[in-house]
Amino acid sequence: MSAAVIKPARLHKKRDWPKHAIIWSFLLIEMFPLYMMFQVSFKDNASFIAQPWLPLSPEDWKWSNWLFAIKLIGPYLANTVFVAVTGTFCSLSLAILAAYFFARHKLPFSGVIWSAFLVLMLLPSVANIVPLFMLLKSMSLLNTLLALIVVGVAAGQVFNIFVLRNFIEDLPKDLFEAAEMDGASHFQQVINVVIPMASPIIGTLAILSFLSSWNDFLLPLIILRDKELFTLGVGLIYLDGEYVKPWGQIMASYFLASIPLIIIFLFTMRLFVRGLSAGAIKG
Amino acid sequence: MAYPISRSKVLREWRLYFFVVPSLLMVLTFAYFPAVSAVYHSFFDWSGGEAKQFIGWDNFKRAFTDSTLLMSFATVGALMIFNLIKMIPSILLAVLIHRLTSNRWQYAYRALLVVPMIVPQLVTLFIWKFILDPNLGALNGVIEATGLKHVLVAINDFFGWGVFFEGVPIGWLSQPELILPALFIWGFPWIGTVGVLIYLAGLQSIGQEVYEAAELDGIGPFKKFIYIELPLILTQIRLSLVLLIIGTLGGYGLQLLLLNEYGGPGGRGMVPGLWMYNRAFVAGEFGYACSIGMILFSVILTLTFINNRYVRVDK
Repeated sequence: MSAAVIKPARLHKKRDWPKHAIIWSFLLIEMFPLYMMFQVSFKDNASFIAQPWLPLSPEDWKWSNWLFAIKLIGPYLANTVFVAVTGTFCSLSLAILAAYFFARHKLPFSGVIWSAFLVLMLLPSVANIVPLFMLLKSMSLLNTLLALIVVGVAAGQVFNIFVLRNFIEDLPKDLFEAAEMDGASHFQQVINVVIPMASPIIGTLAILSFLSSWNDFLLPLIILRDKELFTLGVGLIYLDGEYVKPWGQIMASYFLASIPLIIIFLFTMRLFVRGLSAGAIKG
Repeated sequence: MAYPISRSKVLREWRLYFFVVPSLLMVLTFAYFPAVSAVYHSFFDWSGGEAKQFIGWDNFKRAFTDSTLLMSFATVGALMIFNLIKMIPSILLAVLIHRLTSNRWQYAYRALLVVPMIVPQLVTLFIWKFILDPNLGALNGVIEATGLKHVLVAINDFFGWGVFFEGVPIGWLSQPELILPALFIWGFPWIGTVGVLIYLAGLQSIGQEVYEAAELDGIGPFKKFIYIELPLILTQIRLSLVLLIIGTLGGYGLQLLLLNEYGGPGGRGMVPGLWMYNRAFVAGEFGYACSIGMILFSVILTLTFINNRYVRVDK
């Protein structure tokens, strides 16, 4: 019996190595830009041109590139974190309340409102950006971080409500009834029932929302004018516009721009992998 | 009979409406209003200020004779074909990972795939700009080192393209003829993390025993893909297609960053979205930009509809 089990497994192991080789070669090429970014960030232009591929030995590392990057990128990082965190928090708070509205009771007009949200999925944002700019101008929100937050919150609503509604509808009804018996208001039910029960999906949505806010650069590029308000996206674009490019300093800045995501990634690895797969099925 | 019940329920639960109001207000202000405003302003000659003049269909007439816009649709068509080809590596990788017998390795690879996502997209783009740099870039370095340069020059001389020369670094982003190839190459090996994870989710329903049965029947790896794996990820492929259509047609961040707001040298990288951006924020023709947006919107909607109608998935 045991021999019969082991034998096919061994056979598979043998046949698996070409697959591993192919997957690794894909992954290595995929990671190559990361490697370049890391090793170039410790070089000045002269040593980079002399030896572009291999890293310098650690005693020659130019930490001044990183000091430069921290000075340059630091304020942008702070702005981006502020926008991403505030935006994610507001977006999810609103979405949880709205999803609760749709999932809990079927009130008059809730069908109409639901389709009003769904239609937005068809609307490509590209046609919107010009009127959106004029709208923000007339609300005198141009050149403010608030504009980035509100637009981000509005843009995230449809997807977040869609996912959360399905999730809340699947929660056992007894939980809500029990809470109601104890005299909990709807708001208390959201706080004490929905949020604890839905925390994994809320976490995943928060990560996705944070990522999209972090990656956005078109809207900030159009809206922001003052250097003090720049988010990472705009800051890096202006850095790219310099004439003589100090590659080491630029790469150090790029790396620094990734660090907050690396930290988040380390702590939420499981949510990341699972959330992306699950979100993909739903969408 | 049902009426009084729902009525009393409304009276009891009317406060619940307050839960949806904030979301609804946000969406109405920042999604619906701009959309309606775009339709409205596409019929105006408007440079963004108070003054605007109703000109009927003139913006649309102008759009259909605007050679830049027409060219840009050709370019975006080419990009669409490129992106279709670029879907293949992700599918292959997902199938390869799924065929592994060890669940641990499968999870490890999924985790490794997520690693490139920690780099902001913008940074990825800039790194690619750096890789495509004529003097310092890794791509030219590889081409020189492997002797591929001589082959390219030989092909160039044979066909008389006048693109590649001995001793001159290849200007991927500065030579008009090379803009499209550069837009094809960037992102090699074209693994989309989200794409691979989507396909893997679709493949999950195939158990090891299916493969063992197939092996007993003597079915080769290619047939396995056609008969076992492909049918199961068709739903996901269709989803990727929709995202691809919307992303490619509407996207212009890539071109704006790798090239410039004029679509690079010779305007070879100009896409409709970028032309809209250019008209609005460079030329100040906001009315015309809105009408380009409307045209783009209708094209995207039509293609999405065709995709959903004809790329059928039989469950």
